[in-house]
Amino acid sequence: MKTLLYLLFALYLCSVAGYLLRLVWNRPWLARLALGLVMSGVALQTGLLGWRWWQAGYLPVTNLFSTLFFFSWALALIYLYFELRYKIGATGLFVMLLNLVLLGGALPREAQISPLIPSLDTPLFTLHILFSFTGYAFFAMAFSIGVLYLVQSRLQTRHLPDKLLLRRINEESIFLGFGLFTLCMIAGSYWAYVAWGYWFSWNIKSVWSCLVWIFYAGMCHAKFVRRWQGGVYAWLSIAGFAVVLFTYLGIGLLLESNHPLE
Amino acid sequence: MPPTTDMTLPQRLWSWGCSLKLAIYVASLATLLIMGGSLTMHKHPQLFGPMDDMLMADWLAGAWQQAPQRVWWIPASALCLVIFAINTLCCLIDWLLKIGSRWRKTGEYLIHTGFILLVIAYGWNSFAGFRSGPHRLFPGERLELRPMPGYAIQLEEFTAELSDTGRPLDMINRLSLWRDEAPIKEREVRINQPLTHGGLVVLATSFGRSLTGFTFHLPGRGLLDLAPGSRLELDDGGSLTVLALLPNVRRTSADQVQPIGDQLGNPALQLRLQRADGSSWQGWYLLREPPPRELRAVNLHLRPMEPRFRDYSLLTINRDPGSGLAAAGALCMTFGVLLAFVSFYAKRARGDRPEV
Ligand code: HEM
Repeated sequence: MKTLLYLLFALYLCSVAGYLLRLVWNRPWLARLALGLVMSGVALQTGLLGWRWWQAGYLPVTNLFSTLFFFSWALALIYLYFELRYKIGATGLFVMLLNLVLLGGALPREAQISPLIPSLDTPLFTLHILFSFTGYAFFAMAFSIGVLYLVQSRLQTRHLPDKLLLRRINEESIFLGFGLFTLCMIAGSYWAYVAWGYWFSWNIKSVWSCLVWIFYAGMCHAKFVRRWQGGVYAWLSIAGFAVVLFTYLGIGLLLESNHPLE
Repeated sequence: MPPTTDMTLPQRLWSWGCSLKLAIYVASLATLLIMGGSLTMHKHPQLFGPMDDMLMADWLAGAWQQAPQRVWWIPASALCLVIFAINTLCCLIDWLLKIGSRWRKTGEYLIHTGFILLVIAYGWNSFAGFRSGPHRLFPGERLELRPMPGYAIQLEEFTAELSDTGRPLDMINRLSLWRDEAPIKEREVRINQPLTHGGLVVLATSFGRSLTGFTFHLPGRGLLDLAPGSRLELDDGGSLTVLALLPNVRRTSADQVQPIGDQLGNPALQLRLQRADGSSWQGWYLLREPPPRELRAVNLHLRPMEPRFRDYSLLTINRDPGSGLAAAGALCMTFGVLLAFVSFYAKRARGDRPEV
């Protein structure tokens, strides 16, 4: 397993190198090579995820290793979707770099699958997690595009897509992420109801998940404010991702919570 | 349309009600308040800890008396969310009035409807219903639901499912719900599978074992089980009755027995010995000590062999009158999201953008 994980990391690392080389050495085949490496990485990661799921008998996303691994898989897949749909080329450099950070965070951790605790043994858990991390991955994509929008505003480089396309992709990521995160909140609330007898809990992780939801609901509307389109929206995408990171990692590392995934 | 000076007051109010900017401002304010408040929650767990165990209104009333400076942000953010919900409702009505030309946004407006229903449901449940438990029930026992006169819960059977290593896997409760002395519902309640009935929800929270008796060895008679209520007839015509059993006691200086907990530690039986000559003795037998002199005198050399336990279930019983409304809200949102996913691209293709 570890060897395959290192191979995966190497594939993504080479794709980042490919995108980087493409910036300095204008050869179209380099972009194709980088994309091919991302595709191979996604195929390998999908296989690994499927294998771990089959081995465990449940979607293995119960510890930091497995959530980072799943997050990274979702982000790579989402990048592929946008790349294939809009041909966003060099944005891959930043997105895959972020992906390397996620995967790099997972690598040194214990990959072992432990038996599922009984309260997590429900399809609601699978749905909650699936929607949560795919939502987060879209927010991570929006964050990357937000950063690149600001870079493009300064550099006006031909390597990056034009600002209008970046803005549209950012809005699309936020919208899709918000929709998926809404489904995550619904599955989580229903699960809380059958597990605890109330559908909203005041534990700190649930409170911050609601904040994430309200924040991105706000962002779904902020794009209609003409003065905010583009720059402000990009900054908001960056701020939103900070809220996501605090909810996902900060609470677990800095604070305590009685959320079942702590 | 933004409010302008040539509008009448109702027109201005309506346009404020439908204003997207207002939505963004109140939502941002609520977000900041809750962000700050959540850190206070973290710093004062003793104040905020019981929030989930009681109705919001009850908790807030108590917490406000204790430390208003730490909880003011909750009513303040609730107010923002209510304004936000009213704002959302205005947008929804505005859309409904123009549905003929804007039906393509059904998905988005189902999301808005869902949000309004959820806010109402949460508000409703903050003032009505109840949260209670955990209640300890032994198999066969019935519990009257005091906040719901005429209703009762009966635990028909209980099994704790354990793994080979003794790890709890599940708690299987066969429960029945009674109204006016007649059963109206029966369900197997397990982890993540509660009994629900019109806003009432009964959940398996935990379980435990309670000491019910002891197996003793009595020379000449072999093994016998004694528990409160047991009566042992003696050969000489006398009898021994078990009056009580305590799992953990200590002797006080006045040679009295004092209970010190529910866990098995230093167990004691309270006994009454009726002798054949009509005299009697009543006292405690602390099982970690030799039998009392009075028992030995009639050849009752009872030797404790092993404790006997009975499992009980711990049940949480809540009632959330708004849960049906919340479920409707969640359904609206789910369908809304799925529809909006489809219509998002259609809207894009048409270059559709509302005015702000
Ligand atoms: C928590 C509350 C709310 C949620 C979850 C929510 C969610 C959404 C979503 C997901 C969209 C679709 C965005 C898109 O097309 O990319 C949307 C659109 C919209 N929302 Fe909200 N919203 C909320 C509150 C409000 C409020 C308070 C208003 C009114 C002031 C409002 C007015 C609108 C309008 C006008 C649109 C655009 C619909 C269109 O395309 O014509 N929303 N909302």
